[in-house]
Amino acid sequence: MAPSATTDWPSPSEIGDNALQPCFVLHKALPRKYEKRSKEFNSDEDESSYEKLRSEAFNLVWSRIETAIKDVLKHSTSHLFKELHNWVHESFLAIKSSATCSLSEVTRPYPLLVDNLCRQLFTAFVLTKNIEIVDDLLTFKELGVHLKSQGCHIVNLSSHEFSVKHGIAGCFRSLLRQLVTFASNTPDISILASWYSEEANYDKPIVVIIEDVEQCSSMVLAEFITLLSEWVVKIPVLMIMGVATTVDAPRKLLPSNALQHLQPRKFTLGSPVERLDAIIEAAFVKPFYGFNVGYKVALFLRNYFLRHDGTITSFVRALKIACMKHFSMEQLSFLCKGIIDEDSKVWEKTCQSLPEGLLKYAANISSIKRNNIDGNVGDALADGISELMRLRNNWSAVVMCLFEVGKYGKIQLLDIFCEALDPSLPNCKALKRCLEEGKDHRQPLRRDAILRDSESLNSREGTFIAQAVRKVRDLPSASLHQLLKFWARHTEEIAEVNHKVQALLSTFEVEVDGQVVKQEENGMKRNPVSQRLPNMEKDKSQVAHEKAAMLAISMIRDYMVPIESSPFHEIFCFKHVDVLQSALIGDPRKTIQTDLLRSHSYLQCSCCSASLTPSMHDTSILYNLAQEHGDLINVHDWYESYKAILVGSSTKSKAKQKQSPTPKKRKVTDEPNRIEEASIQYPFLLLVP
Amino acid sequence: MGDSETVVKTPIRVTRSSSSSTTTTTTTTPKQNSPQKPKPGSRSLKNTKASFSDYLLFPKPITLDQLYSSYPCRKAQIDELLHLIGPPNSPMKPIFIYGRPSSAKTSVLLHVFKHLNRPFVYSSCKSCYNPRLLFESVLNQVFFHGKQSTNNYASAKRCEKASDFMNFLREALVHTIATIRENQRPKGSKNSLNCGAGEMIYLIFDNVEMIRDWDSGLALVSVLFKMGDLLKMPELGLVFISSASLDSFYGNTGLMELVPVFFPSYTDEELYQIFMRGQPNPKLYSSFLGVVLKTLCRLTKRVDELSVALVPLFRKYCEPLSDLRVIPDEAMKRKLFSCLQPHIMPSLNQVFKVESGTIVETNKEKEKRKGILRKQGSGETVYEVDFQMSDSAKYLLISAFIASKNPATLDAALFDSTGGSDNRKRKRKSSVTSIEKKDQAAQEMLLKGPGTFPLERLLAIFQCITSVTDGPIEREQVEDGLTEEVGSCGLMSDVLLQLSTLCNANFICKGGSCPLEGSTRYRATIDEDMVMKIARSVNFPLAKYLYRR
Amino acid sequence: MSTGAAADAQALLRCRLSDPRFSLSPSPSPDSNYSKLKFILSNSIFESCNNSVLLLGPRGCGKTTVLELVLRKLQTDHPDRLSVVRLNGLLHSDDRCALKEIVRQLCTDHQLIFSKMASCDDNSQFMLSMLRECALAHKAIIFVLDEFDLFTPGKQRLLYSLLDAMQSVQSQAVVVGVSCRLDADQLLEKRVRSRFSHRKLLFLPPSMEDLQRLLRQILFLPTDSSFRHSDFAVKFNAKLSVIFNGEGFIDILNSVVGVDNSVSHLLNFLFCAVCNMDSGSGFLSLGSFKSAMLSVQRQLKLESLQDVSILELYILVCMKRLEAKDCGSYNFNSIMKEYKGLQDASQTGAYYSRQVCLRAFEHLLECELVGFTDNNRGQSLSIEFRAVVLLISSHELYQGLRSSRNCPDILLQWFDRENPKSHAY
Repeated sequence: MAPSATTDWPSPSEIGDNALQPCFVLHKALPRKYEKRSKEFNSDEDESSYEKLRSEAFNLVWSRIETAIKDVLKHSTSHLFKELHNWVHESFLAIKSSATCSLSEVTRPYPLLVDNLCRQLFTAFVLTKNIEIVDDLLTFKELGVHLKSQGCHIVNLSSHEFSVKHGIAGCFRSLLRQLVTFASNTPDISILASWYSEEANYDKPIVVIIEDVEQCSSMVLAEFITLLSEWVVKIPVLMIMGVATTVDAPRKLLPSNALQHLQPRKFTLGSPVERLDAIIEAAFVKPFYGFNVGYKVALFLRNYFLRHDGTITSFVRALKIACMKHFSMEQLSFLCKGIIDEDSKVWEKTCQSLPEGLLKYAANISSIKRNNIDGNVGDALADGISELMRLRNNWSAVVMCLFEVGKYGKIQLLDIFCEALDPSLPNCKALKRCLEEGKDHRQPLRRDAILRDSESLNSREGTFIAQAVRKVRDLPSASLHQLLKFWARHTEEIAEVNHKVQALLSTFEVEVDGQVVKQEENGMKRNPVSQRLPNMEKDKSQVAHEKAAMLAISMIRDYMVPIESSPFHEIFCFKHVDVLQSALIGDPRKTIQTDLLRSHSYLQCSCCSASLTPSMHDTSILYNLAQEHGDLINVHDWYESYKAILVGSSTKSKAKQKQSPTPKKRKVTDEPNRIEEASIQYPFLLLVP
Repeated sequence: MGDSETVVKTPIRVTRSSSSSTTTTTTTTPKQNSPQKPKPGSRSLKNTKASFSDYLLFPKPITLDQLYSSYPCRKAQIDELLHLIGPPNSPMKPIFIYGRPSSAKTSVLLHVFKHLNRPFVYSSCKSCYNPRLLFESVLNQVFFHGKQSTNNYASAKRCEKASDFMNFLREALVHTIATIRENQRPKGSKNSLNCGAGEMIYLIFDNVEMIRDWDSGLALVSVLFKMGDLLKMPELGLVFISSASLDSFYGNTGLMELVPVFFPSYTDEELYQIFMRGQPNPKLYSSFLGVVLKTLCRLTKRVDELSVALVPLFRKYCEPLSDLRVIPDEAMKRKLFSCLQPHIMPSLNQVFKVESGTIVETNKEKEKRKGILRKQGSGETVYEVDFQMSDSAKYLLISAFIASKNPATLDAALFDSTGGSDNRKRKRKSSVTSIEKKDQAAQEMLLKGPGTFPLERLLAIFQCITSVTDGPIEREQVEDGLTEEVGSCGLMSDVLLQLSTLCNANFICKGGSCPLEGSTRYRATIDEDMVMKIARSVNFPLAKYLYRR
Repeated sequence: MSTGAAADAQALLRCRLSDPRFSLSPSPSPDSNYSKLKFILSNSIFESCNNSVLLLGPRGCGKTTVLELVLRKLQTDHPDRLSVVRLNGLLHSDDRCALKEIVRQLCTDHQLIFSKMASCDDNSQFMLSMLRECALAHKAIIFVLDEFDLFTPGKQRLLYSLLDAMQSVQSQAVVVGVSCRLDADQLLEKRVRSRFSHRKLLFLPPSMEDLQRLLRQILFLPTDSSFRHSDFAVKFNAKLSVIFNGEGFIDILNSVVGVDNSVSHLLNFLFCAVCNMDSGSGFLSLGSFKSAMLSVQRQLKLESLQDVSILELYILVCMKRLEAKDCGSYNFNSIMKEYKGLQDASQTGAYYSRQVCLRAFEHLLECELVGFTDNNRGQSLSIEFRAVVLLISSHELYQGLRSSRNCPDILLQWFDRENPKSHAY
């Protein structure tokens, strides 16, 4: 691949399209799968009807998930927007106070004679903690809308306007097109000034948003900045720049005489990792949308995010693909519709009324194979599902609890989530070990717990959940208190656990030293015995920690049942990593090459066979030849062999003619030869890039 | 001779009849009927009055003392300018004002005109970034034309060539001066409009040095400088302001007719005066300036840069004080100085400081964010790169850095066919090879900067690295084996996307394509410590792969 | 009263100085360029023949002025026998806009309607027909091509069409080229040159005597009734003549003329002198001439050296040292290396960070004491890697160091000692 790599180089603008590719692959992939599966059905119409059911189920589920994700993202940015708006307001006031200029003065070409020694542009650097800009384009658009609604003039510029080719005229043109809403062929600042001096537009800040500063050409950007700073007293322009990497990226980019015209302020966008955590919490852990990812898939998604491109966009896309795949492949997946509607009736009815084809299919779902069912498959299916629902709820509750712990211990929800999905979790040795130590240790526990903790940190064994549990032990008591409250909230469904938590909370409540902490959520009244000696408190709180840890462990052991180890989970849980992977990273070049090698198998024409024949398509012939020669081939040989193959068929006839002695015949035979030359060379040159 | 006239006329009609339908006289323009551009022949007087005073004059003139007082350190230059511009109605030679940036050239000149109260036209070559804009902005002012939504922001005249500019300008000036004349007459009675003093009209061109960078700039510069000769109007005064001295305009022809006026940059004492102006608490501030100004002046003499640097320092200086109206005595001065002392040097050494968000809770918020963000830094929070970057991108970046640090000849030694599985062998080799090359290479690096490399080399190194690396991948293996091959096959698929991403982030830049093979070459422009951070975050032993001092 | 007189005097002098026609009054001698040119033009007008002539000579020797004088004379004498078309190489080097300009002027001369929209061919057609018509009307068209040498780059279509039109009998025109390049006619293409009559008038810069004559002619106030305060004028002239005869003034004049002996330069000098003649007494003093000389001939590099801050001086000295070592081309990084080395060698002053030095370096680039060796601007390479050179001689730098107010003496030591180790203390 390496040598041909330079030929299709994706320019930054094309990234989007390239990234979309998997979707196309997917759409091509879908129908074939239907063909394969539909063989099992006896009648087509209910197959088609169920297929319809599935598709609408998919639409329903995906729309739910998508809205959930959207809400999460919007929530994550709302805070920043508020900050920015405040900043805009303040700096606008600052400009106004520095100098006042009348309407008529704005349009004058000469600078205002105020003696503030240097004119500076208020600039906000928004750190989008991600080297990929893709996620944040939307964010900046929304920011623009938000500020516009707050009564500012908004200009959204991207780095394409700041190209050396167009120079400063380029950015002014698009700036005017957005503000003045007409395209002048001589865009300059005087137009902006006279526009701003009109009553309607006067006395509002103009906010220029540049999404990706790093990509701008430094010369043009510097020119732009100096020019605006000349006029900033008359036209209050504020800049908001998206910085992908670090704060001093602009310093590296711009020359000093442009820098000293900026009055920078730093703002930070939520990092993609925490956004991802929020998404997972909203989409997978808390509510159950009837679609879940298996352990391997989750791991794959996680690695894909961490190692290939850390963009939410692609993560969501991957999710969507997975979801689509699931609903296209899994025939019973339409059952989730009932689950979303939260009433068991629906799916019980549907389960009863399943055609036996589907029932048969349900009967030999692998997870049922283990504990083989007797009697009505439908009923089994029904209560299997309800069982699964229960388990799933417990699971999510526990995971949420762990995540609360994780917040203190700097452990990502993503990691915990993946691990909690692991069907082999109960017999994972690291977890075992920490459970063991949970049992046997009493007093000296903290010391070596910390110690083991640290060592397990720098040597990677010791799972995240184990870390979480350890974290519970050495929390400061105040935060433990907080934690317990959270737990109480999360574990409301699981009655017994909730009781334990409440109990623990109350005892903790009591044993926390003298000052009163009133409890609302559980109306416990503290009993009078609360005055203790400090050391007593110490080990008491120690005990409290220990109890909490034990509680966590018991929760993990009893209630955190991974979905994959529960019956009928295939219906809701997508486990086919390979499918997803091929759809997602469906290496287009490789597929093309393989297809070229076996072109005859695709176009089933009679003439071609595995061997090279002239009737094959030229491209495939050339590619085959290239393969035969190994990675390097000089064009002449290539052409020669290519010609040999094409001419090969007709050579015999020519050879025959060669034998005939008369010279003029030979002359005649030369003609077709030459013609062939042309007709061969043409496609060759056409194909060889 | 009369018949000759007719003879002359007749063929003209014939020749011009082709285009006679579209014929217009030079004085008329498309904008004629728009109210903004008063038609020279019949412009209503009040219209002229309004437009004239606010297009060519300052609202209210200032007295000479105000002029001097507003620029205490520029008395000599003000006098020189006043002399050169001279009394009303006396012609002048073009003036060329030059001096370092932010030496108050423009504002002094404008104040002078505010004092003289004479009609002038100002246009800055910074705001008008190409000839056409320059011409049109001058013409707009002379024609009293304002860009407005009614004339959808068009100029008075469309003018691209210098020759057209000259014609338009001549016509306009003739007219304007006529209006001035008729109003200068002592008894223009009731409706004599305010045309300022004297019959001269002055053109001011600011930032002339920018013109040199335009295409065919030098020609335009010489046209502007010779405008007086070309127009042959004694009533026209020309003033040019440039931050580049006159000798940088040599090399094109005949500029010696300019009278140069030099604005030297301020001395330390003058700077002291300037910064003392308009201070609420002069005593305090003067003590502050006494502490810092000298040291700052060693770095730069530019007023704007100094004032930027001074503001945060003064804030620091005032921190210990309860109220800012206090008159500091010696002891307090000493105390304040001792407080300020540690902050001076760092503030000297940074050109550009970014202060983070204002409000307290936002700061807290940020802390929380940082806290959350540290998680991903897997344990080592100290070295973590504080922005998201996928691992493959990190590896790619590292390999790019290696590729542009090391000479290509060294790659074979660094990455042997086994992917350099054993480090110490490779290490020895690299050190051996490095020793003789080191200083010469260091020199090279100093001069040429990071070297360029073709894509193939980058990919090769990238594969070597990813095959060698231990850290994270091993971790994945603990969890399961699958991700390993996911990684390997996935990495190649989107490595080009990653590369383009890195290019966008200015970590790698596309160098010029080398002439021999057409492929574009790349260069890693990222600085060293950043790469080190990144290498640590994926704990990759970068130091082994680089030889250097 | 005297101040009013002084004001009037100054106004008068300024008018004189800024009006080029005043400076060269036509000298009647038959061999002067004035009479030669007058002869050429007038007989090509009255013999109704075509002609072409080049006025060559260095700048500011009154080529254009003489031409203008001749043309005015002719126009006043025979108003309807000639019409003048003035082109300038600076404005009309492009053929089509030159043609357009010609047509415009012809139209305005003959009160015709000028169309902007006319195509280039229309214009040339029109010009030719105008030539023909004017020839029929016994009217000569005189094309004045100022900055003649600037018309020559390109295809010279305009020159060719002009000169070619003049080959025909039914046209009557004179092409007068004015250029400061003495080899202006060598720049012409063959086809153009063959049609060009190689008549050249050479203008020489005025001699010292001429200049002094000019000086008196300009500065002396008229004592007759044309100037109101005659007695003031007498006093004024008396003072002037005293100054003129003093040798101090001779030196000044020599140095001024020594730099540039063209008339325009002298006028500039005088203008400055008149501008800062002291308004109190209202007389020109020697001092005013001195300051005028200083303001006319400036030490630009030294001035900008005065302006630089200490840090920038450091950088300049480091560059000078690098150039002394002549280690080939160098850039900001090598400068920083040198600077660091010096700083380490002698622990004086603070060591400034790279950023600040880079800013100072950019300042130096801005005020053109330092320049890039490669002047391609769109380069991807960042500033600190591009090779630079010092744009001032080390002597100038030395003067700058000496004259700058608070230059640390360590700098001077660095300047002349080669290796810092030898004097590290």
